Amino acid sequence: MFEFDLFELTRATVTTLVGLTAVLASLGVILCSSPIYCALYLIGHMICLALLFLLYNAEFIAAVQIIVYAGAVMILFLFIIALLGGKKEIQEPSTERSIAIAFVATMLGELFLSATVGPTRPIEGAFDVQTVAEVGGSAKAIGLELFSRHVVAFELASALLLVAAVGIICLSKFSYVPVRRRMK
Amino acid sequence: MFSYCWFILISPLVGFVLLSWFGNGMSRKSAGLLGCGSVGISFLITLGALVGFLLGGENEKGGTSTLYNWVTAGSFSLNMSILVDPLSVFMLLIITGVGFVIHVYSIGYMEKDPEFSRFFSYMNFFIFSMSLLVLAADFFFLIVGWALVGLASYLLIGFWKEKTSAVLAARKAFVMNVIGDVGMVIAAFIIFDHLGTLSFLEVFAAAKSTFRPNDDTILLITVFLLVGAFAKSAQIPLHTWLADAMEGPTPVSALIHAATMVTAGVYLIARCHVLYELAPFTMYLIATVGVVTAIFAGSMAMVQYDIKRVIAYSTMSQLGFMFLAVGVGMYSIAMFHLMTHAFFKALLFLSAGSVIHGLNDEQDIRKMGGLRHSMPITHITFLIGSLALAGFPLTSGFFSKEAILINSYHADMGNIIFWAMAILGAIMTGFYIFRVYFYAFSGQPRTDANAHESPLIMIAPLGLLAFLSLTAGFGGGMIDDFLATYFGTHMPHPDDVLLETIGLSAGLIGIVGAVGFYMTGKDRLEFVKQILAPLYDLLFNKYYVDEIYDFLIVKPTRATGAFLEKRVEKLGIDFAVDQVGFQTREVSRLISFWQSGSVRLYAFNMIVGVVTILMFVVFL
Amino acid sequence: MGHQFVLLISASIFCVGATGFLIRKNPLIMFMSVELMLNSVNFLLIGYSSFQKSMDGQIFALMVMTVAAAEVVVGLAIILTIFRTRHDMDVDHINTLKG
Repeated sequence: MFEFDLFELTRATVTTLVGLTAVLASLGVILCSSPIYCALYLIGHMICLALLFLLYNAEFIAAVQIIVYAGAVMILFLFIIALLGGKKEIQEPSTERSIAIAFVATMLGELFLSATVGPTRPIEGAFDVQTVAEVGGSAKAIGLELFSRHVVAFELASALLLVAAVGIICLSKFSYVPVRRRMK
Repeated sequence: MFSYCWFILISPLVGFVLLSWFGNGMSRKSAGLLGCGSVGISFLITLGALVGFLLGGENEKGGTSTLYNWVTAGSFSLNMSILVDPLSVFMLLIITGVGFVIHVYSIGYMEKDPEFSRFFSYMNFFIFSMSLLVLAADFFFLIVGWALVGLASYLLIGFWKEKTSAVLAARKAFVMNVIGDVGMVIAAFIIFDHLGTLSFLEVFAAAKSTFRPNDDTILLITVFLLVGAFAKSAQIPLHTWLADAMEGPTPVSALIHAATMVTAGVYLIARCHVLYELAPFTMYLIATVGVVTAIFAGSMAMVQYDIKRVIAYSTMSQLGFMFLAVGVGMYSIAMFHLMTHAFFKALLFLSAGSVIHGLNDEQDIRKMGGLRHSMPITHITFLIGSLALAGFPLTSGFFSKEAILINSYHADMGNIIFWAMAILGAIMTGFYIFRVYFYAFSGQPRTDANAHESPLIMIAPLGLLAFLSLTAGFGGGMIDDFLATYFGTHMPHPDDVLLETIGLSAGLIGIVGAVGFYMTGKDRLEFVKQILAPLYDLLFNKYYVDEIYDFLIVKPTRATGAFLEKRVEKLGIDFAVDQVGFQTREVSRLISFWQSGSVRLYAFNMIVGVVTILMFVVFL
Repeated sequence: MGHQFVLLISASIFCVGATGFLIRKNPLIMFMSVELMLNSVNFLLIGYSSFQKSMDGQIFALMVMTVAAAEVVVGLAIILTIFRTRHDMDVDHINTLKG
């Protein structure tokens, strides 16, 4: 009776609970009528996900999730919702809705089926938990990989961000000026 | 050696081109000069070739002259070459000589016509084509010349293109000629298939060793060539175009439809006599059709009122005589008759043209009369022509026709029936031509038109042709000798006094008959007309052949065409083509619903795609 | 334990996100559904990264996050541009590309 590992048990329980909460929060995102509430549910969902990341030994990514995603992106969302708003939207059932749900349910079923497949052959990389700790933490481990083997992807990602920034400025300028002119 | 003979072809061709391009700018005098001059040059060159032959004596067989090699495909080669031998020189003399005379005549006849140069350009083109036909050294260029002559005939019959009847007649002539062309081409195919060559010399040399007499193949070849000959020479059943061809100007009728083009059929058979000797059955057919046409045409000529039509049927009838001659194997005699016929028939046509010209385009003989006083010279020339046609003793027609009549019985392939029908034809000939003579030239004028004699430029050719009609008959022996080098044998002269006498009198009986009917009051004529009314109707309506053809051939063809157009073309083919476009449009209209502009629909499509792929991945 | 759990949770969140995208008319909520789907993928990557004992999964998740951030920014700017002058936030009404 005392053969079970308390740590592991706790860990498993917590993981399961957090996972379920994440799913429920996502359900909340799509089912609410008011956009603000949906945004709040999404923030909650992201925090749950960050916890899950922590539980799976990805500390750096968890931090990035909170800072970037829940912090910056969702705030941006909230600003836009405040600007444009949107009324409470009442969902009336319709044929299209039913068909869409049916398809997605099928997809879910198929994906669940795929879960019955056994574990894939492990690649057995070099970083298990001890090694990561020896290197100096998850951030350092990621840094070592990122700047050696994936440096091209890194550079491309930075280029992408630059393009996005420029694009935003152009978009806002285009949409701004005609409105101004119209007001004259 | 005879390479200068190319200029016989080049000269009228140059004349044609120059007159077509610059004719409108030329004065009538220069256009006429150019037209006649080019033919005159051809005639002189032909005379030179003739001299060359005469100097060469019995052994001169002539030769080919090649300009260049046109096609070489494997073992087949086709050269542009001409064949100068006694037969072609003989024909060329007639073509260019009579052609030249008629050209001179036309300067006078067509002087009031606004399209003077066009006429001469077409006439030159005709001389070129006919010379090509005669000078061709192989079947290929023979057929080319054959078709070009048909084209020239079409252009010249329909010369007055505002006249609907002329255009229709031209079309009819052309269509029937094309039927003949098709026959010739098929014959050429068969010849090539079996002998591998189209050159005359090679074909004739190989034919004897390749074919047995009355072989199926040689019968086919000769019969198909015959279709061409019959179409061109207006024998039954392809004869209906010749009478209508008289819509063209009279010099055209004289040149093309009397002296030269219609004789191309006879020339063809004479040229290919080697092939025909291997097919006695076809020879028999030729003789039969010839003699039947002779009687057929002669009977129709007896009741026509248009002077040119009578002479046209006369041509058909005389061609029948020529075919009879080749059908029994008497080639030289046929060519002899061809020559004399060219002279007196051209004379008759040109005299008739003079009459028409003098009476301001009146062609109905019932409206003529008493012309011997107002047009004396034309009267004499017409009389000479008529006598020659009827075979009056000592005229050229007498000698040639006598030879045909006697040999139609005495030749190896002749028999009594041919002879009897030929005699009947000769009697009819005398009758119909003197009927016209009496109507037009004797008695009192039946018309108010001020008949005047034609100008010198028209009279001089008439005189020349009249002279030839009287004297050419004595050259029969020389012609026979000349052509013997080609045909290989001399023509026999059987001595049968009885048949000679009967032949001599046949034409005279016809003349007497005409005198009896037309010079002694109208009673007999009306009486006979009443008794033989149905027969008269039959003859007058040309045996209803045109109507039969219309019913059997023209109407079904038109109906088939209309049916195909309405049903097959409109409902079938157009429908199918339209449906291609229509269905494409419908399908794309259905598909365009997919592009609804709704983002959610697009996302939905994506999900559907993902689901499908997952299904494949998971389950298969 | 781990494999099935990660797969199941990830699949569930993904399908929820897809459903939300198809069902809702408000463009902002549709965008949030897209974020849900991206997050689910991130989770999958991280999970497998821990099973495979390799950092590649985490790096890929980092890239996904970068792209997601850029995409959100540009997408919201576009939505702003389109819907600023209208007063209804209904995606079905922007169908001038129809046909």
